[in-house]
Amino acid sequence: MEETENPRAPSLEPERSFGGHAIGDPFRRVVESAPYGMVVSDVAGRIVMVNPEAVKMFGHSAEEFLELRIEDLVPPRFRRGHDGLREGFHRAPESRPMGAGRDLFACRRGGMEFPVEIALTPLDMGDGPFVLSSIVDITRRKRAEEELVRYAKKLERSNAELEGFASIASHDLQEPLRKIRMMGERLVALCEAELGDQGRDYLGRMIRAGDNMHRLIRDLLAFSRVGMRDGGFRRLPLAEPVRDALSTLEMVIEEAGAEIEVDDLPEAEADESQMRQLFQNLIGNALKFRRPGVVPRVTIRGGIIEAEEGGRVRLEVCDNGIGFDEQYHDQIFEIFRRLHGKTEFEGTGIGLAICKKIVERHDGRIHARSLPGEGATFIVELPKQQKASNDQSPSHR
Amino acid sequence: MMADDDADDREFVREAFDASGFLGEFRYVEDGGALVDYLLEAKRNPRDPASPMPDLILLDLNMPRVDGYEALKRIKSDVGLRRIPIVVLSTSESESDIEKTYDEGVNSFITKPAGFNELVEMAGRLKKYWLELVKLPNGPAR
Repeated sequence: MEETENPRAPSLEPERSFGGHAIGDPFRRVVESAPYGMVVSDVAGRIVMVNPEAVKMFGHSAEEFLELRIEDLVPPRFRRGHDGLREGFHRAPESRPMGAGRDLFACRRGGMEFPVEIALTPLDMGDGPFVLSSIVDITRRKRAEEELVRYAKKLERSNAELEGFASIASHDLQEPLRKIRMMGERLVALCEAELGDQGRDYLGRMIRAGDNMHRLIRDLLAFSRVGMRDGGFRRLPLAEPVRDALSTLEMVIEEAGAEIEVDDLPEAEADESQMRQLFQNLIGNALKFRRPGVVPRVTIRGGIIEAEEGGRVRLEVCDNGIGFDEQYHDQIFEIFRRLHGKTEFEGTGIGLAICKKIVERHDGRIHARSLPGEGATFIVELPKQQKASNDQSPSHR
Repeated sequence: MMADDDADDREFVREAFDASGFLGEFRYVEDGGALVDYLLEAKRNPRDPASPMPDLILLDLNMPRVDGYEALKRIKSDVGLRRIPIVVLSTSESESDIEKTYDEGVNSFITKPAGFNELVEMAGRLKKYWLELVKLPNGPAR
């Protein structure tokens, strides 16, 4: 392919003797067919051989190359001191990547710079050492990396803005709402007699709508706060947040006459208050969607999945409630999604979305198994240990 | 004494205190600066009936000009004023607000209740606790 694009490329004939040794055909063929640029130079830095890919990469013809020194391929701003580095290499020649950890640039004919990766290989031909530089043009990769970093930063910014917006908006929305509810209650308390049946009915509905909006905003605020926390991970026996969640839900459990069973639970590195909220939402959910006339049973169990890298813990919240059709599996974790009418089961449709967000913040996953009428099992998998950088933004990774 | 820039809230709270059987005097100011000014005036003229020292301050956080934090900081760093119990009564539920105000020496932090009945209950409890149950030092620190 290169041959047709670069008619002069085949003229690889070394004009200088290559250490007095004829370069065998196999070596030449390897060099010529290599998919990256190859340049062979001697101790003084004189270029003695190049392959077609190098010709393409640098824009010098093969003949021109043989008049150049290796320093001519280095951008002028890095040229100073390069001969020292070259001499250093020849003093202790070994195959190695060049400039490990630094960004390297090469210089095209006409002076244009481009980013490269270079591997150096010593070639001892008997009467003089040479060095083979294998060069990869990484312009595209660099561009893709920069694009990725830019994109990650943009995403991070818009996420932060969105969460800030949700938090501020819901805070400011609470204010007027609180007053509407308060005025409504005052109206009921002070003017109920004068309102008449229809007036009382309307007012009652208005207050209920206000209560509903209050819950929505409160849950939305909780949802937006999940991502705004930073840090807070520690080694935690998961039985603790479960116990706290159960004590918060005590009244609900009593009212429902539910039987709760908690098995041994493992430890994991987690955010305690978010684990409490996770279990509170999952157990609360299990109690809410109970089957009429059936004693609700909720089982919380856990185990360790060793097989996976670093170990993961698996937690299950299992109930005998109404269950759901698994075709709606993904919907139940979406914010504001509800599978049931508001008159059947009250709620804002944010609870499971919060669970998902908490689990994802812990680098875990959540899913559910269920059949309609046969209960549901929510399964949470969390890493036993958080990655050190798990809480940082992508650009810091 | 209440510092709150929201007229509706001032009215609700006053009505709630009335409904809880509070018989004392209920005064209010509209921002933190006015609160601090009033207290300094009361400190200068301890026997002036026009500016009695309050038994309890209800402090909103988000107010124009001098906000609740700033007022709290100034009052709690003033030897003559810091013994007055201060209860933050704010819409905020944020952990950082709670931590910050306790670090500045606030005596209690309450999120404004959402319903009037809850507000009356709150007023009743505040009255019972801060004005009846608790023993407070007699007069300012010297």
